[in-house]
Amino acid sequence: MDITLPQQFIELSMESLKQAPDRWFQLNQQSIQQFNNLASHEETLKLKHEPLHLIPSRREKTVSAVDTSTIKIGETNTGIIIAIRGANVWKQRKRYRYVRFGPFIFHVTEENKRQVFETLERAYFSSVHEQARQGAPSILQMPMRIASLLERWLQTMAAKTMKNGLMLFDGSLTAGTAETPTRRMREILDSARKGQNVVLAFSKVTNLRANGHRITELLPDHEPPFLLETEGLKLKPPMVLLGEIYVARLAKANLAFRLDIDKEVPVESRIEAVENLLGNDLFAESYPETLRLAHILCTFTANEVLAMQHFVTRRFGLQFVNRPDMHRLLFGMFGKGEGYQ
Amino acid sequence: MKLYRKEGNILQILSFPGETVEKGDYLLVEDVDVGRALIVQVIDVQFASIPGVLEELLRSLPDGGELIKGEDVDPLEVAPHISYIQDASLLICKIRATAEGDCLSPSSSWLPSRSQSTIRKLPLPALLKLAKIDGGLPIVIGGTKDSSLLTIDATSLDGRLNIITGKKETGKSHLSKLLMVNLVGYKATVVVFDLNGEYLSLGLTGDGKRNANYDRIHVLTPSQNFKLALKQLNLHVMLGILIHALHLPGTSAREFRRIWVALKERDTLTLHELGETIRNWNCNQHVRDALFSRYHALVNSGIFTDNVAESTSLEEYLFKTREQGGAIVLNLRNTSSIDRQVVVEYILGKLVECLSNSKLRAVFLFAEEAHLYLRETYWDDIVTRMRHFGIFTTFVTNQPDTIRENIYRQADNIFLFNFTNEHDLDVVSRAARVDAETVRSIARDLPPHHCLALGRAVRDFPIVARVRALDVKTMGETRLFFSSSAG
Repeated sequence: MDITLPQQFIELSMESLKQAPDRWFQLNQQSIQQFNNLASHEETLKLKHEPLHLIPSRREKTVSAVDTSTIKIGETNTGIIIAIRGANVWKQRKRYRYVRFGPFIFHVTEENKRQVFETLERAYFSSVHEQARQGAPSILQMPMRIASLLERWLQTMAAKTMKNGLMLFDGSLTAGTAETPTRRMREILDSARKGQNVVLAFSKVTNLRANGHRITELLPDHEPPFLLETEGLKLKPPMVLLGEIYVARLAKANLAFRLDIDKEVPVESRIEAVENLLGNDLFAESYPETLRLAHILCTFTANEVLAMQHFVTRRFGLQFVNRPDMHRLLFGMFGKGEGYQ
Repeated sequence: MKLYRKEGNILQILSFPGETVEKGDYLLVEDVDVGRALIVQVIDVQFASIPGVLEELLRSLPDGGELIKGEDVDPLEVAPHISYIQDASLLICKIRATAEGDCLSPSSSWLPSRSQSTIRKLPLPALLKLAKIDGGLPIVIGGTKDSSLLTIDATSLDGRLNIITGKKETGKSHLSKLLMVNLVGYKATVVVFDLNGEYLSLGLTGDGKRNANYDRIHVLTPSQNFKLALKQLNLHVMLGILIHALHLPGTSAREFRRIWVALKERDTLTLHELGETIRNWNCNQHVRDALFSRYHALVNSGIFTDNVAESTSLEEYLFKTREQGGAIVLNLRNTSSIDRQVVVEYILGKLVECLSNSKLRAVFLFAEEAHLYLRETYWDDIVTRMRHFGIFTTFVTNQPDTIRENIYRQADNIFLFNFTNEHDLDVVSRAARVDAETVRSIARDLPPHHCLALGRAVRDFPIVARVRALDVKTMGETRLFFSSSAG
């Protein structure tokens, strides 16, 4: 896998931090690591009742997973300081390996947010997609946008490098959003198919409902592993579905996940890919271990947040000042802190 | 280093990688604004409770338990900062004193500024100077961790009760020899109850040549070069032997007193006459039997003789040491339990006699594994009554629970070697001049030949030192079956 990061990413990170004013505020540990997976949809989704029974296939396949996470590590008078990290984990010959990128630390302000985002877009993908041109995201959206950018780049690199494997994404294959431009996602899927890879996207949480019930809660009384097919989901433009949506219950644990599989892959190959995944990866709580590791490896721990704060303090001479907690200040013992809002 | 919290006289200090601080080290917490500083000693080093560390460690382990291999692309080089935070340690420190200029006080009632205080290591030479641990009669105990010498003043042992304790083969007897040799060097009179024959060659160098103390070390082996004529003993000492060592009942002891007085009046105080008198004495048959059995015990011990020429005058040895100093080593190695008690009763009785008559100024008594020969009532006697006469005892033991709790409470100096057993540490921590946390924490990690000196000798600043080597012939080594020559 090509792990050469665009130099501009690092330069931008450093440059943005140098512009930070000499006073900044510590955040009360609000994590914004999870991407919002809500996609507006018509209530037309139907769940087929007959499950597709799966038989794990022991045929050797490389399983690769990509995930990114972001956290706000501080606030300044003019913006926020965020950290982003991505991880690519793969399982090959029964061994897990990983490459982890980051943390990259950015100081994002109203003044530089557009420049930061567009520079990164160009650096990664040599172009800026339409949604980005229409308007820069708000400061609060920036961590997810930059993380999403890093994630797409990691997925692109994996798709171009891997051959005849299974690629696991975190989230869905819904495109046409600011974070997942349709063209970019199509390019990733195309690259994956060219390398005989199949993309499987697992959503930890879904809001898709059939007959008013969450699709992952409508499980038939059937011995796992199995897939439930869906049909009839129509999204409002410009959002498009690039994957076929399934509900996957892959282990005995009573948990199921939304699983999007590249639509362009023939139906038989999709089922075969899930069977290969079952035979080549471990499943804890019905979730593939490779993807779980990718998530674990990129997640920031409190210790790392402290370390990053230490880094910016030492490297850029920024001073920490505890921001007063308004809830505590106003309501005393009845104020449960801003984290509980 | 940063001041974190204070609870009682325990101070918690946050220390970061690069600041190498270990258990036993002293730190100076200086608050310049108030012109005072706390002298604290590190008694434990723990990992600082950093949030997220558990997650950090757990995520490197997949299901198989084997470390997951990978590569970290960290262009901003944040990883060293993560390690820096992760490796932060919490130093649990005991407040030993407050320094105000050159004055030390044991106070810990003030609180230094958390934000303004500076914390630095206090090198032991500086501490020793500050605490004035040196004195006019130096005894070099050994080297400290920062290559300075721990020197105590011989006067800190004078009139004091000392304990040397630690588990087997950690160097207790070695330190005891070192103290002894130095005391002899300062012309002190030393008496040693040598249970294992370890002190016999103190007058010889490692290669067997005579050393400076050769003429001042007097080894007395019971029934060999240590024999007593009854005339040398006074009735009080003899009754002590019979009652305490040979457990003679009170009624029989009264008869014995009469016999003794009669013999003394006739000036026929010999073993032979004593036996004959008991045989012919007009008394109850049971009393006679009791006296006879003790008489035979005395005869069979080989310690008593009627030949005045081969009898030993303990006074003479003691007077020899009075001018130039010296050690009387009682070799109890091959002596039976009863005979040991007979010898000890005699020696202690004689010492008290000499001291109470002011024939001697004072005696330093070194007692190895004293529970094996010291009768119950002597423990209290030694630390109270005998101390006032001028017997200053150093107990040496590897079984700290054999020494009574009240002895620990009154101990002035404790030289503690390694102990791992909780029970042993509990016992030692009862000493009044020691705090339990220090004993438990530091003594457990002491390497062999390192001792933790506690008490007056170190002005209540516990200090760890590696006991220096002594050029004397080693004795008392354990005989091994699988020795190298056997192969």
